Amino acid sequence: MKATRPLATLLAVGTVLLAAACGSDDGSTSSSGSEGGDKGKVSISGQSFPEATLVASMYEQLLDAQGYDASTTLVDTRDVYMADGQFPGSIQVVPEYVGGIVDYLNAKANGPDAASLTTNDPAASLSAAQSLFDDAGITMLDPSAATDQNAFFVTQDYADANNASTLSDLSGKSVVLAAAPDCAGRADCEKGLTDVYGITITKILPLGFASDQTYQSVLKDESQLGLTSTTDGTLADQGLVLLADDQGIQPAQNLVPAVDTSWAQDNPDAVDALNKLMAALDTEKLTELNGRVSVDREDPATVAKDFLTEAGLI
Amino acid sequence: MLGDALAYLLDGSNWVGDQGLLPLLLQQLLITVTALAIALALGLPLALWLGHLGRGGFLAVNVSNVGRAIPTFALLALLVTASWPGTSYLGPYGRAGLATLLALAAFALPPIITNAYTAVREVAPDAKEAARGMGMSGWQQFLRVELPLAMPLIATGIRLALVQVWATATLAALVAGPGLGRIITDGFANTDYGKGIAGAVVVALVALVLELVAAAVQRMADPMRAAVRPTATVLPATS
Repeated sequence: MKATRPLATLLAVGTVLLAAACGSDDGSTSSSGSEGGDKGKVSISGQSFPEATLVASMYEQLLDAQGYDASTTLVDTRDVYMADGQFPGSIQVVPEYVGGIVDYLNAKANGPDAASLTTNDPAASLSAAQSLFDDAGITMLDPSAATDQNAFFVTQDYADANNASTLSDLSGKSVVLAAAPDCAGRADCEKGLTDVYGITITKILPLGFASDQTYQSVLKDESQLGLTSTTDGTLADQGLVLLADDQGIQPAQNLVPAVDTSWAQDNPDAVDALNKLMAALDTEKLTELNGRVSVDREDPATVAKDFLTEAGLI
Repeated sequence: MLGDALAYLLDGSNWVGDQGLLPLLLQQLLITVTALAIALALGLPLALWLGHLGRGGFLAVNVSNVGRAIPTFALLALLVTASWPGTSYLGPYGRAGLATLLALAAFALPPIITNAYTAVREVAPDAKEAARGMGMSGWQQFLRVELPLAMPLIATGIRLALVQVWATATLAALVAGPGLGRIITDGFANTDYGKGIAGAVVVALVALVLELVAAAVQRMADPMRAAVRPTATVLPATS
């Protein structure tokens, strides 16, 4: 009996604390905030690298401010959220990239060796793939001026030693490439580097896109060339430099919201809000925001909120 | 999609070469066997000794169970990020070879230790008492009575560890490490599902083969194999 009473007190206090913790949590998470809910639930998915996390958070907060109850689940690869019944279906909105989604749908519909539909022009790339979007039940909103193309980096030392500032400067060299696992055979990656720039790729290490493993591999000189994006805000701090894509092997990779067609028809105000967000972003701004997330270790949700507030979107 | 996988498997050119199925399969076998050997060398003597003493096993079993509780991938990622062993190449084990071996050895420890400890400890008290009554030393009792009687269960633990480690070794691909996982991740990353599934099928088939071979070895190695049958027929009559 003596032991039960303190135990009961502990339990009671614990329950109260837990309830309090949950209560305060409700106010800060955007997915169940007080303003969300009256226009229905929206599921956002996307890939889980830092920039996609940031942009997805912008979508979520923007839609919450519009009166939706938005929630985000990020995954590793496009295959996961594009699986049958996921997007479009149980997921309504995905922060996409023009070339990324066009190439994906093209490969899925016409096989891995299908001729590429993407060019340097985002609008032309999207209209070339219009029938693929129609078949999939996906509507593409307005592409942003902000573009996140694949780009290759080397260490400052390597650039100095080889007097290289563009990829053409590496022509004839043999390098090990640290890149995403889907690099081999791609015209904007291994194939382009080999065929267009004449670089000999002796080995591809599938360490990921702009991942810490990729940076480390290049910094340790295990590989010489690493894959990242034009909006990578972390390179300078690490003593890494981008090599310019002077012969244009990279297709347009402008940010663009991909949405479920039937959902878009029912929710014109959400479409309008996402289009305004795309208009407010550009590459320079995006690189700066990426730097705040990746270098300064700020919470993506905070950085996203700052931008939305500053741009007058929420 | 399964047709694509079959086509991939039937194309001989996919089996050879630097990143072909055969060299990666052999590499993964080598890693599995080595990781198992490390785990056996570390875990078996300890587990057998504690089982013989009949105490301390709680600690050993639970400490080794940490190996089960920590996701093998988390351990691997941690080892790869650390300055040692990091991603350094280790002969035929390839990139991050040492990190992979250590992570897999930790994964192999729990079934080996748990089974070996329990097997020796749970040998019938009558048999142990009879051994002591015959004047056997502790060492003799262990070698001539406990170990033979415990053998089937110990072997089951090793067999379990072998198949688990083989299938889990595919994780190494996530750190650009050795083995067949590379076929699976490459396939799925490139929307080449046939290749991804082909890799998974090969891993599953080899796991079955390992299981069958280990079961056969286990039966042959069981020192009580001949002795069990007569007692089994006698028992119902006496009871």
